[in-house]
Amino acid sequence: MLFFELLAQSLVQGCIYALIALGLTLVYGLLRILHVAHAALFTLGAYLGVLVYNASGSLLLAFAVAMALSGLGGVAMFRLAYQPLLARPPYVALIASIGLYIAAEEVFRIVFGASGLSFAQPPLQAQVAIGGLQFKEAELAVMVSSAIIIGLLGWLQTRTRIGIACQATVSDPQMAESFGIRLNTVRDLNFLVGSALAGFAGVWVAILNNLVEPTMGSVPSYKALAIIVLGGLGSVRGTLLAALVLGLIESFGTTYIGQLMDRNAIAFAFLILVLMMRPQGLFARR
Amino acid sequence: MSAFPRSALAAALAAACAAAAPLAHADIKVGLMVPLTGFAAADGKSALEGAKLAVAQANAKGGVKGEKLELVVYDDQASPKEAVPAATKLIEKDKVVGAVSGSYSASTRASAGVFQSTKVPYVTAYAIHPDITRVGDYMFRVSAMGEVQGRAGAKLVSQLGKKNVALITVKNDFGQALAAGFKDAAPKFGLNIVGEHEYSIQDRQFGPLVAKVKSQSPEVIYASGYFYTAGPLVSQLRAAGITAPVIGQEGYDSEKFMEIAGPAAEGVLVTTSLDRDSDRPATKAFLADYRQATKEGADMVAASTYTAVNVLIDGLQKTGGKGGAPLRDAIAAGKFDTPIGELSFNDLHEVKKDVQVQVVRDKAFHRHSVISDPVLLAPPSKAQ
Repeated sequence: MLFFELLAQSLVQGCIYALIALGLTLVYGLLRILHVAHAALFTLGAYLGVLVYNASGSLLLAFAVAMALSGLGGVAMFRLAYQPLLARPPYVALIASIGLYIAAEEVFRIVFGASGLSFAQPPLQAQVAIGGLQFKEAELAVMVSSAIIIGLLGWLQTRTRIGIACQATVSDPQMAESFGIRLNTVRDLNFLVGSALAGFAGVWVAILNNLVEPTMGSVPSYKALAIIVLGGLGSVRGTLLAALVLGLIESFGTTYIGQLMDRNAIAFAFLILVLMMRPQGLFARR
Repeated sequence: MSAFPRSALAAALAAACAAAAPLAHADIKVGLMVPLTGFAAADGKSALEGAKLAVAQANAKGGVKGEKLELVVYDDQASPKEAVPAATKLIEKDKVVGAVSGSYSASTRASAGVFQSTKVPYVTAYAIHPDITRVGDYMFRVSAMGEVQGRAGAKLVSQLGKKNVALITVKNDFGQALAAGFKDAAPKFGLNIVGEHEYSIQDRQFGPLVAKVKSQSPEVIYASGYFYTAGPLVSQLRAAGITAPVIGQEGYDSEKFMEIAGPAAEGVLVTTSLDRDSDRPATKAFLADYRQATKEGADMVAASTYTAVNVLIDGLQKTGGKGGAPLRDAIAAGKFDTPIGELSFNDLHEVKKDVQVQVVRDKAFHRHSVISDPVLLAPPSKAQ
């Protein structure tokens, strides 16, 4: 029974990681930027989710607003911070990104207060029993909605013109441009979609914990980096698998070797181990 | 000069003082180290409000020997590397006569050495690591140490008539000190620890930990943490169908805990230093004054920091505003009637006091019981 409960918990966590890391991997694939400030959009989504739900009582509206504004926030970050730095070496953008994240954390603290926000009436808290396992409705909803949204994204990527344009831009930007693909539109779209996913994850975490704080993005900011490295930088499929694997490792790791290392230490010990054996990442083809 | 009318002189002086007041530095400066940014910022805000209230009340009563007190506040982010330069600034630039730590153990331990070496009395409000008062004789602490609170927790479990305990510990100074005290006293009360679990202070999702605790079916859960970790933890324990009572400590002691955990908070017990249902005038007055000043309910951090600042001010009243060794001796010899109890310091400058057990009922902390056991709850002294 413990085994299945841990498995279920690792799936919930893995889905959240996947949603956050997807945006990062999209950005890395396209621009070779390690987009640390992505986690600020996750936090933004969480705050918006709580504020909108508390004001309106509509979860759908909360998700819509959180995803839309996080998405636009991502586009704004790209236009204002990264685009002017594209000609520079990638570490310049990385430094800008770290600065942006720290600044965002302080802005959240100043605007919304240091002690965080909670839902007045947290949604989806009812208990559901499935095959002897106890779940919160929210935990099931995280898994189902993540699967749907990731599936949809995969379909868009491979079956639509704009998705194929994105893929072409990733593999050879110059060639893609000469075929009439507008690079900046593709980049905007990538930031929009990736950041909206981060906002989506933020709302889920807010519902699961009933707490959003200015610093809630700090662990995801570096853990998502670990995931995209594990997944073989820039590979979408690899990132998804790596997120689920990390969820498993953390879940079983904290249970069986939690006395030695805490959850974050376990995650990074695993990362180091993998990189020693497969420097290209777990799931990279090349 | 003698021809000058006296009243006019007085008026002119008063006017000059009034005009200069915002610019002129106050005569007696008291330092406060608090985490206003970073992960502990919520506690820092409570600490600051408590300290501001203490200083405002002292100034309203005429200050110290007619001179106003000024609170000089630095943000230490609860981080040792921020705390040392901040402490140095308080001493070198602001020339404070004494200071209060309204911060966590790690940063307080780091700054303690700076105050000790410059002979500036430093009163710790709620940081509980044993090493702080061992830094030297200019250190004081108004809260019960972690080990002491942990022992009180073990006694509480036995008073509830339970035996099998699961220990959930936040991996830092605070959690480890509590766990050490709890495990130290557990055999005395015949308690059986069925499982030990640790988590990082950054964790908010406890799925795997909760599953493991559930598989051990404890009768009681002794879980250390802060309201921002304990809120999600307690709610996730209850969501998994675990109904065993949860015992927390002063880290839970905030209205935010009930906000985050919601209905899951009901029935949670905490060992702390602030009794909301107290009949003591000092406690009742503080609770009312704090609510009036901030429009919020006081928590343990606010009460402890308020107390620490008042201890310092009391000492200053006795020395007439002088710092250094006279202030140290005045505080060491003093008896203080505070919102968190009657305090006096032992030779290690620790306080001996009862531990308040509060229970969450209808979204508020209420008195459950008081653990009074001078032997079990004795703070360490120099001899130990």
